[in-house]
Amino acid sequence: MEHIVFGIGITALAGALATVAGSAEDTESNIGSQGDPNSQVQLAPQMGFLHRIFNKAVAGEPPAYGLWCCLGAGLAWAFMAMQINPVLAIVLGAVLATFVQGVYATTAYVGRTASLAKFGQPVFVDILKSMTTVTMAHAFIAIFCTVTLCHLINTALGHPFPLPLLGLIWGIALGAAGSATGNPYYGKERQYQNQKFGAGVPISASGNIVRYAEAGERNSIDNGWFTAKIGGSASGICFGMIVFLELWRTVVFEAINPWYAIIVGVLMILIFTVIDRYIEVWGRKTYGPYTAPKEAEA
Amino acid sequence: MSVKVEVIEGGVPHNTILIAGVVSTLVCIYLTYLNVVTQTEMFSFFGGLAVVAALVWGSHTIKVLCSYGIGTGVPSAGMIAFGSGVIAMLYATRFGMLAPVVALILAAIIGLVLGWVSNNILNMKIPAMVQALTEMAVVGALTLMGFAALITGTFGFEGLTTGTVTMFGMTLLTHQNSFIGGCLIAVAFLLGAIAIQHPFNACLGPGWTQDRMLMLTAECAFLSMIVAAIMSFALISAGSAIISLVIAIIGWVYTYKEYMALSKRDAHSWLDSKPIPDVEGQ
Repeated sequence: MEHIVFGIGITALAGALATVAGSAEDTESNIGSQGDPNSQVQLAPQMGFLHRIFNKAVAGEPPAYGLWCCLGAGLAWAFMAMQINPVLAIVLGAVLATFVQGVYATTAYVGRTASLAKFGQPVFVDILKSMTTVTMAHAFIAIFCTVTLCHLINTALGHPFPLPLLGLIWGIALGAAGSATGNPYYGKERQYQNQKFGAGVPISASGNIVRYAEAGERNSIDNGWFTAKIGGSASGICFGMIVFLELWRTVVFEAINPWYAIIVGVLMILIFTVIDRYIEVWGRKTYGPYTAPKEAEA
Repeated sequence: MSVKVEVIEGGVPHNTILIAGVVSTLVCIYLTYLNVVTQTEMFSFFGGLAVVAALVWGSHTIKVLCSYGIGTGVPSAGMIAFGSGVIAMLYATRFGMLAPVVALILAAIIGLVLGWVSNNILNMKIPAMVQALTEMAVVGALTLMGFAALITGTFGFEGLTTGTVTMFGMTLLTHQNSFIGGCLIAVAFLLGAIAIQHPFNACLGPGWTQDRMLMLTAECAFLSMIVAAIMSFALISAGSAIISLVIAIIGWVYTYKEYMALSKRDAHSWLDSKPIPDVEGQ
């Protein structure tokens, strides 16, 4: 019984870390226009809409965060193998992984923008300097929290996988949670505040993203500020719940019978499917012109 | 059949890059064998140089393949390269000194089958698919072998699965403190998979230039080599790891500066704290 109580405590701590990680991850990716909003940021200059939005598509969020967290975990593993204290090892691993993330971000922005020279899109050096550092700060929080929760799963809960493999798995899960939950808020809402709410993006509006702010020209820190409030929190809750519920069902039910943990997992998926469907139908009925798609096209 | 959406104009022909890539990668991996000959770990850094050579070749293959609208993102090409390459690499490590050549042949066969499946069963019908997937599987396998040699000093199965741990002054053999047992292979997998796809993903567009993209590949490869060299401190002697680290840092600083200079050359303009310029007709 005692180890179950201890396990639930670790589960709660891991869930809290995951919530912070998810929130930071979504804000980071939104400041870098990573994920699905990226195509519109890339397209805008080609349609004649030059902008000062940061564009650092390294890869989709799941593979990118798979690398950052796996790298952070791998470096932390190596430092621990060198008999360095785990706390220091995880911090050093996260710092180095963040350095790699920052370098990738600069080369992605400069490369993409240079390839758009034909359309007159300049490289803004001030954007490069100010946005990269902000994304690195958020990425550090996301990587540190994820590697820490992987270390907790490995040492406190006794998971058999080595730290780098856990980093890979939970990094991909983190990227997927941020990409699926937080991104639409930036890609479908923030970029198209000049369109009718809930109308989707008609082809005629492609690339016509909002480029001007309340005062002056909008940049990606404005987008990060906007999405941190709801998109970031939603991503945090999403990843936090994934980590918490996954560990909770294992810690509580595996002790009784390993099959119970699997049955509870399947039941959870069914319950969430029903909840998701209910919320989607309710959302469509309550907001937006989705009920008559033909009118939207006209 | 898929339509070719981008054209390669000028630059070094792909076949030249292919031949140079295969030869230099194999030579660099074999140079790490000097570790066994001289009973040291000083030559591990050649594994990192093999990674650089293989990735430069592989990123150009991705350019050839992704010039067609393949219907999936550029990053997927990096994932399939390493996903198919890791099987060949792991199997080949059992063959001792022949490992790099076995990895090359086996990966080519796996890539060929995957290319055939993609074109004929999944009906993707992309002309470059079979050759590109074959090349990328080989690149994936050889890059992983290069990382393995860089981090552990060897590309043999025993060396990759066995490490040492010191307890109360006693040195014990363990499988947990090793390249495969500690799953550093997962880190090598993703370091390579992102480094191989990023250059084309970051440089695609109407203003694509070959020299800029290949310089970025070298930069990504040296950056990966830096972190891999830091991880190698856990498995090889500190002096050998420092040699790898210093070479990686020098290579990275040089290629990063060159890449920024090439981007400045290709960019429309390079502005600092300026508003959005006016476009004609607005």
